[in-house]
Amino acid sequence: MSADTDPFALFDLPRRHTVGRDAIEARYLELSRAAHPDNVVGEGTAARRAAVERASAVNAAYRVLRDPVLRAEALVKLGGLDLDSTDPERGAPHPTQEFLLEMIELRERLEDGGPAGLDALRDDVDARSEAALDAAIAALDAGEFRRAAEHLVARRYFQRFLDETEASAP
Amino acid sequence: MAYSNKVIDHYEHPRNVGSLDKGDASVGTGIVGAPACGDVMKLQIKVENGVITDAKFKTYGCGSAIASSSLVTEWVKGMSVDQAMQIKNSQIAEELSLPPVKIHCSVLAEDAIKAAIRDFQQKQGAAAGPAGDSDH
Repeated sequence: MSADTDPFALFDLPRRHTVGRDAIEARYLELSRAAHPDNVVGEGTAARRAAVERASAVNAAYRVLRDPVLRAEALVKLGGLDLDSTDPERGAPHPTQEFLLEMIELRERLEDGGPAGLDALRDDVDARSEAALDAAIAALDAGEFRRAAEHLVARRYFQRFLDETEASAP
Repeated sequence: MAYSNKVIDHYEHPRNVGSLDKGDASVGTGIVGAPACGDVMKLQIKVENGVITDAKFKTYGCGSAIASSSLVTEWVKGMSVDQAMQIKNSQIAEELSLPPVKIHCSVLAEDAIKAAIRDFQQKQGAAAGPAGDSDH
């Protein structure tokens, strides 16, 4: 990840999950002002294009830094593990068989149980998704990127389940 | 992205959806996941006299993942275990005309059938007696 795509570097923040919300907002305003297209009115095409790209990078970084999940995933990526990649070394770690079986069983419970137990099931998975994020943040604080990545993969599976139940809800 | 007609057909009319008895010694179960997208696939085979007589799957994922597993369950019925072991993801991708971004779905299906066969073979090894524990 280059300095351009390292949101923490762009915002002059330490690579930590805990970030000051005010610091992000202040820096965002500052960077947005600096990258504003009005600053390059009358300059050449290249300068104008560079300003647009810069503004877009600032917005992308801002989006990541404000979101606890995206922030954790970005830190893992800076630690050398890309959750969007299937590379066996540097990609998302594979969950255990037990975990995958449980993900199947969750769906089966959903299909068999009908809407009756849906809320309880959703609450349960939602809590586990939150817990997985907390565990990932704790691992990040300890500098253990692989363990953090494992928790974030689990969180993606929980999130996927929640998205599905959302989609199938009446 | 446009799905091919074969993908849509398998997605809308998936073949062999369901479960076989996981505890049955003649049943092999393969469970695989794609961590990047949260897809999960369970593929089961029933083997009698070295021939796959039944296959079932449950896939929670995108249309291509469902179609890939549905296709594999159709293919393996009637195959010997050795033949099924030879199935390549490229054959699945070709049959379904999967675009490059969906090739990993066919890889998932290949991994699932191989995992199911290995599970069956391990059960057979264990059933053969204490020799199955000799790798300790």
